[in-house]
Amino acid sequence: MMQWLYKLGSPRHFYEMTTGFLPWLAGATFLLLGIGLVWGLGFAPPDYQMGDNFRIIYIHVPTATGAIWIYAMMAAMAAMHLVWNLKVADMVAKSCGIVGTSFCAIALFTGAFWGKPTWGTYWIWDAKLTSFLILLFVYIGVMALRSAFDSETSASKAASVLTLVGVVNLPIIYYAAVWWNTLHQGPSVLGDRDASANPPEIWIPAFFSGFGLIGLLFLIVILHTRNEILYRERRAQWVQELLTREPIHA
Amino acid sequence: MPEFQFEGVADFFAMGGHAYFVWMSYGFFFVVLAFNLWLPRHQRFRLLRLLRARQTRQARSESPPPARAAAPETTPSPGA
Repeated sequence: MMQWLYKLGSPRHFYEMTTGFLPWLAGATFLLLGIGLVWGLGFAPPDYQMGDNFRIIYIHVPTATGAIWIYAMMAAMAAMHLVWNLKVADMVAKSCGIVGTSFCAIALFTGAFWGKPTWGTYWIWDAKLTSFLILLFVYIGVMALRSAFDSETSASKAASVLTLVGVVNLPIIYYAAVWWNTLHQGPSVLGDRDASANPPEIWIPAFFSGFGLIGLLFLIVILHTRNEILYRERRAQWVQELLTREPIHA
Repeated sequence: MPEFQFEGVADFFAMGGHAYFVWMSYGFFFVVLAFNLWLPRHQRFRLLRLLRARQTRQARSESPPPARAAAPETTPSPGA
């Protein structure tokens, strides 16, 4: 296990290990996501109050949760980069930027289109919504800061520090609906018919789409990281050899 | 086994009167994710092309230049 982790820390091994792993990850991701969305959109029973409008849940909840967790991963990578000067960690952190921003944007957008028919408004300055909007700005801020430096080393350092500062926002988002009385509801308890308002017919498809979207997150982050590795290691012998044999669009 | 909740395709797209909100949400979701899947592939394509061009340039500069007749000196002259 340690050996495996140690190898992942080397850009070359990260690249070579993910080469064989990517098709499997992509296959599992699209299978789970396909099942989850078809089931959620067509086969889950409509909510007794919201009708078919609740079907937005199958993308809203996983993208919102994903945006928070990918930020946590980005922060862990930033810490590893600062403490051990691990190059791969910084490349992964950089690769989280666009997909994290995208998940944030999807969660806010779908939330607005769920809020309108349910709460009567697209947007309200409620603690949960506002702290989530701040997460979007932090993502954009980290990417902007990184691109503001000419030196790659300074860019990585600055982005890592800002990423770690932004972590304070995560528990605020997570507990906003618990600490304050917000319009946004708290997390629903999952369980059987007696323990929860949400019966299994409703939450099982959410598990499929949830795991599918986690797979998609990793897929996109790995694809970006592989590009970053090729770019930063462009002078290394193994990249030079890879250039001569790999088909250009693989 | 879960049952299909709608009576036909039109009923499915109507989403019980919530079509606008449901399909706007799903539409945005698909567009953004499609962009996220397209972007790294596009960048990889560009990067590989760039690195390959650099490789051939380097290979050319490292091998001895081919013997060639001295080109005549060209100086840009006004009006030429």
